[in-house]
Amino acid sequence: MQIISKGLTFTYNREADFHRQALQGVDLTINEGDFFGIVGETGSGKSTFIQHLNGLIKVQGGSLWVGDFNLAPTDKQGKKQYKKMLKQLRHKVGMVFQYPEYQLFAETVFEDVAFGVKNFFPTLSDEEIEKRVAKAIDLVGLDYNKVKNKSPFELSGGQKRRAAIAGILVSEPEVLVLDEPVAGLDPVGKKRLMSLLHTLHDTGIVKTIVIVSHDMDEISENVNRVALFCGGRAVKVCTPKELFSQKDESSSRLGLPVTAYVSEKLNEVGVELSSDFKTENFIKDLVKKYKETV
Amino acid sequence: MLSDLTFGQYYETDSFVHRLDPRIKILILIAYVVFIFVARNFYAFLALAVFLVIAVIFSKIPFSNMIKSMKGILFIIVITVILNVFFYKGETQTVLFWIITKEALIFSAYMALRLIILVMGSVLLTFTTTPVALTDGIESLLSPLKVIKFPVHELALVMSIALRFIPILMGEADRIIMSQKARGADFDSGNVISRAKAMIPVLIPLLVSAFRRAEELGDAMDSRCYSSSAVRTKYKKLKLSARDLVATLVSIIIFVSVIFLNGLGGV
Repeated sequence: MQIISKGLTFTYNREADFHRQALQGVDLTINEGDFFGIVGETGSGKSTFIQHLNGLIKVQGGSLWVGDFNLAPTDKQGKKQYKKMLKQLRHKVGMVFQYPEYQLFAETVFEDVAFGVKNFFPTLSDEEIEKRVAKAIDLVGLDYNKVKNKSPFELSGGQKRRAAIAGILVSEPEVLVLDEPVAGLDPVGKKRLMSLLHTLHDTGIVKTIVIVSHDMDEISENVNRVALFCGGRAVKVCTPKELFSQKDESSSRLGLPVTAYVSEKLNEVGVELSSDFKTENFIKDLVKKYKETV
Repeated sequence: MLSDLTFGQYYETDSFVHRLDPRIKILILIAYVVFIFVARNFYAFLALAVFLVIAVIFSKIPFSNMIKSMKGILFIIVITVILNVFFYKGETQTVLFWIITKEALIFSAYMALRLIILVMGSVLLTFTTTPVALTDGIESLLSPLKVIKFPVHELALVMSIALRFIPILMGEADRIIMSQKARGADFDSGNVISRAKAMIPVLIPLLVSAFRRAEELGDAMDSRCYSSSAVRTKYKKLKLSARDLVATLVSIIIFVSVIFLNGLGGV
């Protein structure tokens, strides 16, 4: 599913005197198959934008298409129809909020993960539900038989987050949107979670992944395209390489991934590297350069 | 969403009412509530309503905000009116259908009026007084109870923490509602029971996070050696001024006039 946003605007508390315009016209296209990154300072509208993607926020101005879904409510469409569309949309676009473990509520991990399937497919048989839950729990790397009857509150922090993500994967979304998925995890947990996302993406279980992140290393390592949000607009949509090699005010406030920083310093002493800033390619390029000069 | 609630949220501006001593405002409100129930006829209610309108004008709070804050209790008013209309025992002939009497209608109208001005009065207090000032005021008003070892300071602290946490928990509830909606939860269809059931996935995480926050706050207070028995000074001392005297006098005039107006006859 392709996501096309044109001139998307949004204002919080529109009628109150303390209203705040969070989106000032976002023009952005996310293609099917993208591993897409969204970066920007706090308050730049990233979270507001992604909440639009599965209809948690109603479109106020501009247009937003997610696949065949037109998210701007039209006059012809009744309220009931709109609600029905939202349900279909939400099952296709999974949303993982910041600290998703705070949404766990059920008595057992099984029940919690099953919540989404039961909501989206109320007619499924118990066996089918169990099959899907087991699959989702396996996908996130938890042991289904060990955790299914545990209380979600007994799990460790990293496990809780995985269980919460399983609760979203269980509805088999085509697009997965994650708001700072690794915030608060230890380095091992971070690495594991990112490799989980790559597995999902590479095997085509989830076609499109969108992550919001403040960690530039995470962006340069993982995404193929990135949008820079600033003041409620997507001011730049490009590859990480372009983002981190251009020098201007809006991107310099972001900071650089380690690889880009090292390249910059090498550049100052006359070593020109041409790779993108993925560690693997960066090292290859560096070694090649070294061999050439020696 | 939940954040649209205007009920009782402090309205930032600088006005005569905002600058009044919180203790005076609390006392006037208490007296006002008492007199709402003392008032027995239309004229007495009119005096109280006029008082409220004057107070709102002097508080610089837009009337639209006052009206909006009534949304939350509209349901209660409607229920009260319906119950009273049907169950008030009147003496005169029935005017509508077979059980509704004239007295019942008048009584319910007064009841609705009472509730409206009562809530508006209370909302005006919270609109014009910061939570901190409010708890300071309550602490100061209750301080005589310290003599009988009543934990006044602790009570004030509990209140201020509770007030402080309302917006935080509301934001949290908003977030949890969103994440459950993203998992296909449906909060606004079905009957009352299924709607109540649909709230479980919101209430449990909310409760869990409230406990987590309480624990964190407790730790933070402990780590700064908080003790309720310590003698502490205040950054902002409450002081009465000429303004408070004027407000008190005006209120007394209104309340006395309510007593006189009651003499004109009642329901």
